[in-house]
Amino acid sequence: MTRRDFHRLGSLALGGLIKLAVAVPAVAFLLSPLRKRGGGGSEGAGTEADSLANIASLSQLKVGEPRSFPIVRDQVDAWVRYPREPVGSVWLVRQPDGVEPPVIAYSAECPHLGCAINLAPGGAGFHCPCHNSSFDREGKPLNKIPPRPMDTLDVELTKDDDPRVLVRFERFQALAEEKIPLA
Amino acid sequence: MLNYIADWFDDRTGFRSWLRPFAEKPLPGGARWRYVFGSVLASVFLIQAFSGLMMMTAYSPSSSTAWGSVFYIEKQMWMGWFIRGLHHFGAQTVMILLLLHFLQVLFAAAYRAPREVNWWLGLALMAIVLAFSHTGYQLPWDQKGYWATKVVTNIMGGAPVLGPYIKTAVVGGAEYGNQTVTRFYGLHVGILPVLMFVCLAAHVALCRRHGLKPPEGLAAKASHETYWPDQAFLSLIATTAVVGVMVAMILYEGGAPLDAPADPSSSDYPARPEWFFRFLYQMLKHFPGKYEWVGSIAIPGAIFLTMAALPLLDKVVSSRVLHFFACALIFGLAGGAGYLTLESFLEDHGKPEFHAARVKADAERDRALALASHPDYGVPPEGSGFLMRLDPLTRGRGVLEAKCLGCHRMNGEGADEQTAPDLKDFGSRAWIRGLLENPGSDAYYGKTPECDGMVDWKKSSHLDARQLDEVADFLATFAKIPAEMNVDEWLNQPGVADHPGAAAFEKECGMCHIIDGYTDGGLREAPGLFAWGSPQWIARMIRRPDAEDRYGYLAEKQRMPAFAAESLTDNDLKMIVRFLADDYLPPTESSKPTLAAP
Repeated sequence: MTRRDFHRLGSLALGGLIKLAVAVPAVAFLLSPLRKRGGGGSEGAGTEADSLANIASLSQLKVGEPRSFPIVRDQVDAWVRYPREPVGSVWLVRQPDGVEPPVIAYSAECPHLGCAINLAPGGAGFHCPCHNSSFDREGKPLNKIPPRPMDTLDVELTKDDDPRVLVRFERFQALAEEKIPLA
Repeated sequence: MLNYIADWFDDRTGFRSWLRPFAEKPLPGGARWRYVFGSVLASVFLIQAFSGLMMMTAYSPSSSTAWGSVFYIEKQMWMGWFIRGLHHFGAQTVMILLLLHFLQVLFAAAYRAPREVNWWLGLALMAIVLAFSHTGYQLPWDQKGYWATKVVTNIMGGAPVLGPYIKTAVVGGAEYGNQTVTRFYGLHVGILPVLMFVCLAAHVALCRRHGLKPPEGLAAKASHETYWPDQAFLSLIATTAVVGVMVAMILYEGGAPLDAPADPSSSDYPARPEWFFRFLYQMLKHFPGKYEWVGSIAIPGAIFLTMAALPLLDKVVSSRVLHFFACALIFGLAGGAGYLTLESFLEDHGKPEFHAARVKADAERDRALALASHPDYGVPPEGSGFLMRLDPLTRGRGVLEAKCLGCHRMNGEGADEQTAPDLKDFGSRAWIRGLLENPGSDAYYGKTPECDGMVDWKKSSHLDARQLDEVADFLATFAKIPAEMNVDEWLNQPGVADHPGAAAFEKECGMCHIIDGYTDGGLREAPGLFAWGSPQWIARMIRRPDAEDRYGYLAEKQRMPAFAAESLTDNDLKMIVRFLADDYLPPTESSKPTLAAP
């Protein structure tokens, strides 16, 4: 190896070393949101993942008539902690007496691309105004636009005389044919 | 394959012919260590630009979000501490390298023809780097950045005639706030980088045109060594060493420092500039306020202009003599600056007040970081300025110290003469039990004028220790009575009227203390005890000590002064109440409360 070759190789090696020392932390920095943290939530908009939101009382709901309720809970947005902030909404449909479960909760987030689902005109079912996804009252797709039925959420009722409806609010991956919860 | 792509690009762009002349130009006297400074400086500049760009993806410029986002970068994001550390220590490295580069160019007299314009560009770059340093220092909007900015902009404002206008324009108004952050941010990441790029590009282009200036006597010697790869190798060894030191500093310090969020109301923050500005800071102390601008603007400005004029003076004065004087001037200044820097650090070192203020500031920093990173607290939506203002341990203790401990005591500590009880654990069972045991002690009403009722009661009371325990148990439940509950509702709750301590309370305490619908009082006057120790009881005591159910029966000058909303905000009142009730995130070892010595 000549002296010049040594200089050439040495320059490339040292230059590469310096670039790596800066680039590797930079990649990690930019990919921070992908890092899972202890509680299971992602680093970005963390929320109380497993908590049940107390949304309404059963008597507020009429059988077969969908009604929209906001989900209000503490929200962590990067460095800021917002107490009691609306983070989304759900459609609650009360089932006839004796049917299990007594209340079905649908996420109002469209499984297509995440727009907010509204009632269809005339109240025959659900409709998403962004790309015209249509669903019937049971949340089943009425056209080919949505990849899957509307996402149902876990519901629990309290033991009160007029039970409170508790919903476990979750988000799912858009466009997937299966319900894949977002961490 | 790679060659093929490179050939294709060269064919279309000619990039090789653009790089070649410089890379393959023979170096006068061969590759030398003395030529590395400019290259190392340029490399660290690139690191600064890159790490800065990274942080721009996470930083949020406003007075309410800046601190929180920097905290997030430093403490929460993956390798954020390293990226910010690179930028922090890179900035200091630039300062050192810049000085070395400047001295080297000056000693080589490289300001002489034909390099005059490059000398001026270098000086302009120096000014731009100083501006970078000042604008960047402020961006975290922590105590350090806030007070340093205040000082620097006030120095600007002290300049004759135009000073105040320049200052207002830079700060974005009379007050330091959102506009200050956005303006400094715009300067730091937009305007200054563009200026820097233009000047640096011209600087490098001219350097390529003139070549590196060889030391005297070497010019004649021919050499086969060229910039690439011979000089590049030396430059990269030097760069690796410098970056290695930076990385070692980052690892040693664990990132870059972040003080508590900016608090314009703090009165004892020991603001000091970064070490490389210490000599200026120290020099200012030697100028009377009115002539501050002489030290801060006129002298540095004159030195700068002298340097800028060197290439021109070179034409009229003997070159050798001028060079000697220029070097002597800079040596003299460096010696003076070194002396001032040393003097400044020694002065601080010998001052206990400085150490005390620094310890307090460090404790506040630790507290702020603990609050911000705690999952149940975090930065409040109102902004990082409220992080501490909504912390009972910081704010409540601070207000209590300032407004209450002139007469009251807190765990025996306080200022002036004690004329009121000790508030440690006020509202708790321990406090009330202590009172029932020995009302005449200093911690209770021993030093409180006109409040001898409890002492008189104690003389005549026959309650034994067990009964006193029960009364204390009963009274301790009062603090939990909700604000919206009245006496009847309270009495109808299970466990109230039939509490073991209730009978003795009714019989003995009720002789004087009135609770409407429960006890009648009458023996002598005393404050009402319904919901005693609860937030609403304490709030009313602070706002309306003259009320009938508090100490309205005392003469005004014997009473505790009332603190209306004008002298004590609702938030401060809430903070005092929560501080007394120990309702806050418990302090870690390093942020333990320390009451200021009286």
